Amino acid sequence: MKLKKVEDNSHISIDIHKQQFWKRFKKQIYLQSFVFFGLIVLFFFQYLPMFGILMAFKEYSITDGIAGILTSEWAGLKYFKQFFNAYQFEQIVTNTLAISFLKLFFAFPVPIILAIMLNEVRISAVKRIVQTTSYFPHFISWVVVAGLASVFLSTEQGVINNLLISLGLADKPIAFLSNPDHFWGLAVTTAMWKEAGWWTIIFLAALSGINPALYEAAQIDGAGRIQRIWHITLPSIKGTIVVVLILAIGNLLGGGLVGSNFEQSFLLGNSVNSDKSEILQTYAFKMGLAQGRYSYATAIDLIQSIISVTLIFGANWLSKKVTKTGLF
Amino acid sequence: MKRTLEDNIVDGVNYFLLAIVFLVTLYPFYYLIIISFNDGVDATLGGIYFWPREFTTINYTTLIGDPKWILAFFVSVLRTVVGVVLGVCCTCLVAYGLAKKHLMFKKTYFALFIVGMYVSGGIIPLYVVLRGLHLLNSFWVYVIPGMLNIFLLFIAISFFREIPAELEESAKIDGASDLKIFFSVVLPISKPLLATMALFTGVGQWNAWLDSAYFVQNESLRTLTYRMMEVINKANIPVDLQGQGAELAAQAAQATPYSLQITAMVISVIPIICVYPFLQKYFVKGATLGAVKG
Repeated sequence: MKLKKVEDNSHISIDIHKQQFWKRFKKQIYLQSFVFFGLIVLFFFQYLPMFGILMAFKEYSITDGIAGILTSEWAGLKYFKQFFNAYQFEQIVTNTLAISFLKLFFAFPVPIILAIMLNEVRISAVKRIVQTTSYFPHFISWVVVAGLASVFLSTEQGVINNLLISLGLADKPIAFLSNPDHFWGLAVTTAMWKEAGWWTIIFLAALSGINPALYEAAQIDGAGRIQRIWHITLPSIKGTIVVVLILAIGNLLGGGLVGSNFEQSFLLGNSVNSDKSEILQTYAFKMGLAQGRYSYATAIDLIQSIISVTLIFGANWLSKKVTKTGLF
Repeated sequence: MKRTLEDNIVDGVNYFLLAIVFLVTLYPFYYLIIISFNDGVDATLGGIYFWPREFTTINYTTLIGDPKWILAFFVSVLRTVVGVVLGVCCTCLVAYGLAKKHLMFKKTYFALFIVGMYVSGGIIPLYVVLRGLHLLNSFWVYVIPGMLNIFLLFIAISFFREIPAELEESAKIDGASDLKIFFSVVLPISKPLLATMALFTGVGQWNAWLDSAYFVQNESLRTLTYRMMEVINKANIPVDLQGQGAELAAQAAQATPYSLQITAMVISVIPIICVYPFLQKYFVKGATLGAVKG
């Protein structure tokens, strides 16, 4: 008897709970439907492609459609092995790593230096004008930037070559765009030109938070300009630098902070310089969309993603150890 | 405080370097403009640095007279307009729902969106999905896949959370639904947010080229950026350029593929230059917010 009563009670309480649940849900039905709409979009364009990674382990053919991702036959690690044995393998991996590390080494410090330089400017109009122009190229399509590069670096009356010759720095036009040996430098420089200004925004925001009293005190103590930059400015933005560095390392294979490895290799790469310009992303893209080898291309993309995830966790771990700050 | 010699040296070097940064950033655009107003064959001779030598508007009139370029321009404008309206509305609507503290299953929703932001399947699986959804080779492939920008979604959520609850409460007492509150109360006071979102979405749409090259085969759906890519890809291989040059020298004064390419680049950059001064203050806010969010 007693037992039954307890059971009944719990039944009723669940009922009440259910009623309240629906009442609450009904009350926010509009809000729920807004979010539901977002979830549908998210499902189709983020989650379905995520499941598509399975293709890397399958014998996928495009005629199988979306369902084919699940129903096609397993291929195991066949496509990964195929890539490791491909004759371009070494070259592509070398290019990807070289361009990425060169960008990390040369392009990462530029926005920090530029932000400090801007921070030292006392005439606010000058600061504003240079700052505003410096991030303008961020908003220009890579197609236009590649076009600018082809116009400026052309061997036939290109502005840069003409300048180098008239300054006596070169005796004949340099084939920046077609000589494979110049591609890495071209990649680093054009990415820097396009994106360095944009990233100063974050460092300038950090710089604006420094207490001016620190500078005044240092000046009274006899510290010069350079000393103040070294001992006050830089340490004050150390945290921001570390956070941005982790982000850059997480995107190392995409080009780090300045990004755009894919766009550059795709738009500035050509049949003449492909020895130095072909990278994992462009190779996968061509194999997949131009040659229809979907499983093979997905496998290469997956290798890159795994390296990236490892890098971001590694960078975060290292930064926590060394500087006691990290992203997560 | 007295200025020292070091102050003067540091300032001098600093201003000099910043002047170079300023020039290196702006001059390429200036150069494009003067070449676009110069005779095409004459431009291949070089030596034009400050103003057009043989002034002409033929590059612009040729481009405007070419249906291929005109169509590409309008496709670009259309995808930008539709993409901005659809993207901003959709992202704001979802963000408004997610910003509410009393939303049920909020934690689950957030987890799903955050995973969606950081994990990506890559372009090949996306292609397969778009093909399965019959979006390939249609105008909608430009605007539908990107209509929910998760990065902007989180910016919008943090903005909506700052709106005082009293504003919405009073509308609720008047019997307005959440949908009505969103459109008649929330959106009108969210102009800075809408401007930031419109800027990022609009620039992204206007500059996109990969989708037009690979998700579309119908020539009438190609965008301006795609058409430019076509010309530039040809010009980047120097052997081709030499061939063109020899051919062109024989022709009478008219627009050359090279001068048309440059003119198209100017036309592509102009809309961005036009909106830039107005939206400048908004994107600075957007960029720093994004950085704080990580």
